[in-house]
Amino acid sequence: MADFLQNCLDGIATGAAYALLALGFTLIFGVLRRLNLSYGPSIMAGVFAGTALYMAFDAGLAEIAVATVIGAVVVGAYIERLCFWAIRKDMAVASMVSSFVIWMQIEEGVTLLFPDRTYAFPGILADAVVEFGPFFLRASSLAMLAIAALAVLGLLGLIYRTHFGLAVRAVSENPQAARVAGVNTGLVTLLAFACASALGGLAGFLIAAGDQQITPLFGLWATFKGLIAMMLGGMGSIPGAVLGGLLLGVVEANALWYLGVETRDLVAYMLLFAVLTFRPGGLMGQAALMARRAAESRV
Amino acid sequence: MLDDHLIGVLSNMGMISFIALSAYLVLVVGEISFGQQAFFAISAYASGIASAMWGWPFLGAVLWGAAIAGLAGLLLAIPTLRIRGLYFAIATLAFAEMVRLALEIFTYRVEVDGELVGPDGSEGFRDIRYIYEADISAGAFLLVILALLAVTLGAILWIERTRLGAVMRMVGEDPVLARLQGVNVNLTKIATVAAAGLIAGIGGALYAHLNTYVEPKIFNVMLGVHGLAYGLIGGLGTAFGPLLGVALDIGVLESTRAFSGYRMIVFGGLVAVLLIVRPRGLLDEAAVYRIRRFLLRKDAGD
Repeated sequence: MADFLQNCLDGIATGAAYALLALGFTLIFGVLRRLNLSYGPSIMAGVFAGTALYMAFDAGLAEIAVATVIGAVVVGAYIERLCFWAIRKDMAVASMVSSFVIWMQIEEGVTLLFPDRTYAFPGILADAVVEFGPFFLRASSLAMLAIAALAVLGLLGLIYRTHFGLAVRAVSENPQAARVAGVNTGLVTLLAFACASALGGLAGFLIAAGDQQITPLFGLWATFKGLIAMMLGGMGSIPGAVLGGLLLGVVEANALWYLGVETRDLVAYMLLFAVLTFRPGGLMGQAALMARRAAESRV
Repeated sequence: MLDDHLIGVLSNMGMISFIALSAYLVLVVGEISFGQQAFFAISAYASGIASAMWGWPFLGAVLWGAAIAGLAGLLLAIPTLRIRGLYFAIATLAFAEMVRLALEIFTYRVEVDGELVGPDGSEGFRDIRYIYEADISAGAFLLVILALLAVTLGAILWIERTRLGAVMRMVGEDPVLARLQGVNVNLTKIATVAAAGLIAGIGGALYAHLNTYVEPKIFNVMLGVHGLAYGLIGGLGTAFGPLLGVALDIGVLESTRAFSGYRMIVFGGLVAVLLIVRPRGLLDEAAVYRIRRFLLRKDAGD
């Protein structure tokens, strides 16, 4: 039992990182109704911008964090213009494949600029540990959990309490009607994309600072973990992204402990497959899916 | 004759084409699959087991591998029927990764001629030695690949000209409308996904026998996403589209080495621009229609 609880704590710590990645994914999906496979690589590019600053000028943590976020936002804007803005909205598959080839492009670009396998990244609270009786949690994980919680509140506030959020929801619901109502859909989409990239950059900074190193493979990892977490919760759902991320983290940590490293990923994918089979809209996306089905059956 | 490098490139193009055609078929019925590499993997293992461990003849092993992959397609299609759009894409991705990770722990070894042969978890599956034992040259094997590819392509092109082909496109365009027209949408999808599994399976069986060695990590998600991208680059209007996509990527860019080191930067940029101009690929439905009309006009003029 004690093992199980400690595993759950470890899982929640990893899950907080997954949740942050899933939040960015879900924001992009919510606005565009299209999938951005290059999300992880754009974060990876941002983290490498931070690393470059660290290596060249031995910059402080705040500057590195800012560089990471700016790098992710710039690369994110490039992806948005090329793969989403320029491609007709009903061609979702084309956008997805386009974002995939741009992923390959970003990864090769970063590998050319940074040819080594791993690069050092400055750590924050790297060795600090918070103890709860017999259990412990790394302080950096606790920080990530707190920032994930803040990000959820901030996003909910942004989407449901501000004028910009209203525009985002209008574009998400019906872009034509939003345009007729005077919303600059292109700008709103770009800004929402930039928000998601900034959130991703923040997540990337925290994860890299926790690991104290970064590799170009981070892009693949971030895309797939974020994607799985988002799918578990249901696409476009903000609470779903957090739930999916934490669930994925906890399940992975327990599978690792009880079944070993080879089985960990297998269990994660089995969980995803089972959730999609039995709840085809994800854990918290079922209502929206059912509403669409009901509308379809009335046609 | 052809040199070894060219034979290798053409063989690779041929085998990847099976994955591209398989992903294309799923796209035709309106779903996106990130997981066709799973069927490639399943058949590579199943056919390797048949020929290297059970002593089956080569063609029997290929057919066996493809049949098992088709069966796996059927087993995937039934539980995923309710899943649509991006959820389907991710479900197929999860399925393919489950297959790959299961192969990482799958061990089944028997003694053949005094040696232990068979899949050994993450060590992979060595000694699928049919082409050495039967003394088949790389050039002859290339002909086998091309012959099977031609048969597969011919079958798909023939089906596309029949009523079934029209039904498949209808299901892909608008499943609700197709159902109102009396089309059995579910049956069409299940049959197509199973057939797509079978086609990827042919490629997998060939791959295992040409390379004599397979390991689970070859069948990662990148293989499947490339297969999917080829159809979209080449065009979704005809089964020649995926082949054109394969030819452009592997045939032109990977092999010429003119852009070595920058290949993905050039290729990625070109494809991104192409998808802006032609979101359904080079040979999209409109292009196929124009080409067909042009060819028919020429025939009439003769």
